[in-house]
Amino acid sequence: MWARLILSLALLGLVGGGTPSESRAQSAAQQGPVREYQLKAVFVFHFTQFADWLPGAFADPQAPLVIGILGDNPFGSYLDDAVRGEQVNNRPIVVQHYRKLSDVKACHILFIAQSESDHMRQILDDLRGRNILTVSDADGFAAQGGMIQFLTEKNKIRLRINADAAKAADVTISSKLLRSAEIVTSGRE
Amino acid sequence: MGLLIRALGIAGLAIIATDAFAQHGAQTTQDDALKSMSMEELMNVEVTLVSKRPERLADAASAIQVITQEDIRRSGASTLPEALRLASNLMVAQFNAHDWAITARGFNGVPLSNNSLADKLLVMIDGRSIYTPLFAGVFWDVQGVVLDDIDRIEVVSGPGGALWGANAVNGVINIVTKSARKTQGLYATAAAGTLLEDMAAVRYGSHVGDSLFYRVYAQRYDGYSSNLPHGGDAKDDWRMTQSGFRMDYQPSDANALTFQGDAYLGSEGGPAGVLVNGQNVLGRWTHTYSVESDVTVQLYIDHTYRNFTIQSLRDAVTTYDLDAQHRFALGERHRLLWGGNIRFARDAVNNVPTFLIVPPRRTLQLFSGFVQDEIGVVPDRVNVTLGTKLEHNTYSGLEIQPSARLAWTLTQRQTVWMAISRAVRAPSRFDADLVAPGLGGLAGNPDFAAEKVVAYELGYRVQPVDNVSVSLATFTNRYTDLRSIDVVGGSSPSSLPFQFANDQRGTSSGVELSTNAQLTPRWRIRGGYTYFEKRLRPTSANVLPVSADVEGNDPRNQLLLQSIMNLPGHTQFDVVTRYVDSLPNYPVPQYVTSDARLGWEHRAFEFSVVGRNLWRRRQQEFGITAIPRSVYGKITVRR
Repeated sequence: MWARLILSLALLGLVGGGTPSESRAQSAAQQGPVREYQLKAVFVFHFTQFADWLPGAFADPQAPLVIGILGDNPFGSYLDDAVRGEQVNNRPIVVQHYRKLSDVKACHILFIAQSESDHMRQILDDLRGRNILTVSDADGFAAQGGMIQFLTEKNKIRLRINADAAKAADVTISSKLLRSAEIVTSGRE
Repeated sequence: MGLLIRALGIAGLAIIATDAFAQHGAQTTQDDALKSMSMEELMNVEVTLVSKRPERLADAASAIQVITQEDIRRSGASTLPEALRLASNLMVAQFNAHDWAITARGFNGVPLSNNSLADKLLVMIDGRSIYTPLFAGVFWDVQGVVLDDIDRIEVVSGPGGALWGANAVNGVINIVTKSARKTQGLYATAAAGTLLEDMAAVRYGSHVGDSLFYRVYAQRYDGYSSNLPHGGDAKDDWRMTQSGFRMDYQPSDANALTFQGDAYLGSEGGPAGVLVNGQNVLGRWTHTYSVESDVTVQLYIDHTYRNFTIQSLRDAVTTYDLDAQHRFALGERHRLLWGGNIRFARDAVNNVPTFLIVPPRRTLQLFSGFVQDEIGVVPDRVNVTLGTKLEHNTYSGLEIQPSARLAWTLTQRQTVWMAISRAVRAPSRFDADLVAPGLGGLAGNPDFAAEKVVAYELGYRVQPVDNVSVSLATFTNRYTDLRSIDVVGGSSPSSLPFQFANDQRGTSSGVELSTNAQLTPRWRIRGGYTYFEKRLRPTSANVLPVSADVEGNDPRNQLLLQSIMNLPGHTQFDVVTRYVDSLPNYPVPQYVTSDARLGWEHRAFEFSVVGRNLWRRRQQEFGITAIPRSVYGKITVRR
């Protein structure tokens, strides 16, 4: 019992070396390997708290915040697991799946799967002017006018944010999120 | 007794329930731990990558270029060889309306009937080898892939390592089609124009449950004739009808099955007057043990038939091919890959007096095994790949093909690589079994040996800024036992004056530069420059001087530039421009030409107009016939 307590304290970075964030990262890994899309799902969940939409984006104060996945769902059940039972500003979070862009109706965060990379520019063109936060891990996403791009480097996830694109779509991204990301502007990276 | 079973049953259920609960519990606490972290903390979590081969293109220790689906679609290509023009490390020349000379690093030989003698390339469509054992080259006219089905085309110039199959002497072209999961719904396209007469393709994809996906397609292509050098009909118009299917079934995370097949039927006018048909089926099973380990077993049967009607020379080939490979990690640093392949190619030739293959029926056997070890000498920095392939073929027996490759990742954005490899081209029916009074009295050589190369390569890849990548590859190839035509003066078994022998050797060297740059969010360019030179010399006094010219007619300089631009209002404007230096032996002057595409793509619809060979009225590329300037319009629906 005592041994376990000391171990968990150590893992939390209260005892022993390492920066707190590294130690906590290890503690998550202690419970088995963290899958790429499990982690990305948690990132997407966090985006719900770090972005703001126009007042008209929600039909009423209780309307859910919709996270959409366009194309082949790479998350399995990770995204559903990450948002289950969670609320943002008293709104429930729901996950919806879309096969094609015309299915996307009321949606706040749209994750565009790599299966759509061939038509990415077309998709982003069609989304232009809609109050939706676009997210993807497709290559060159932010450069093409997507808002948040996941990059994987040395098995870690980084974010690249195209702040201009978000501004153009009237999606406000909090400075907290911007601070932790690499900021790019359309056209020049 | 009954009670015992019930008790065991309940206990079993309890165990399963506890297990499921425990698993779900672990998952939830891990999720909770992740969710309570800040952004910075999340960025420190290491993940296991889902992709089987985490190897990035930038880290590969070979001169590999990839043509993507978008590159093809935006180029205005309407056939597979046209799409291959987009790889700047290939030498592609259109011979007539339907035939092509395609090679990497030289050796596009002079036209044989209606094909080039290029015989040093391994070409595969979804793992099915498509070069013919008749002369070790590819009949490009019958490779009618629906271009929209292509996921990507990987083009490796230089010997393929132990990984690839036979014939990968100067390069490998690997055409990979999309999984059926990616082609769901309806796709229909139709085109008409001045050289491309008309073309139509329909594809439909659907699924049964969540694990079985399939597609079926049918395609028709009608092409007008090309021109004679100074105008006039070259009478090489052609028609090709093809249909096929692909099924992808993933009953569990660990098992994936693919089953696919195609059948085609076609005819070609002109002096060569050809009737063709072919059928193939392929099955592949992959069992995944872990991220680092899997087994793949693949079997295919391929039948091709070709009737050169004018001479009533006919050739039918049936190929049976079984391939297996196993990948696993040994310790922290070693990634092993080993496997084996058995191939039987049975052919039957209907000979004519001027051109015979003797014996007319033969079964060629190919047995091969390979092993490769990728060693992380300095993890994430220096990788050494050692491998060898042992191959046994009907004509020349056992051949050993080792290779050593090194990739040194200087920074995340820079890689230096080098390689030394040996590869052989096994003799073909043409080399060994030919008796051709019609070709000036030329006979094959039953003792023909494999042609051999030792290739030295050095390359550098850099990503100077995020959206620009540049790749440079240099090589020197030393060939021995190259094919020659020797003067034997009737002493050959068939008492013809000339006979094939292995009496040439030589050196080739070159530079391949390629780049891909997203200049603005709406404008991307890609392209490359290739420099090539080769020198062959006879090793016997009997060699006919023309031998060197027969083996290759290759340009010294080649330039490619593809521009892909999105304009406002869903409009697209794309241009492919290429420069090809003059061909030395069978003289074709240097030329520059462009294809341009204007497209409009919105939701389910795509309209485009493509102009080709825009610089001149007609353009000779290889041999006598000239390819006229042309235009076509195309409409596509995706639902």
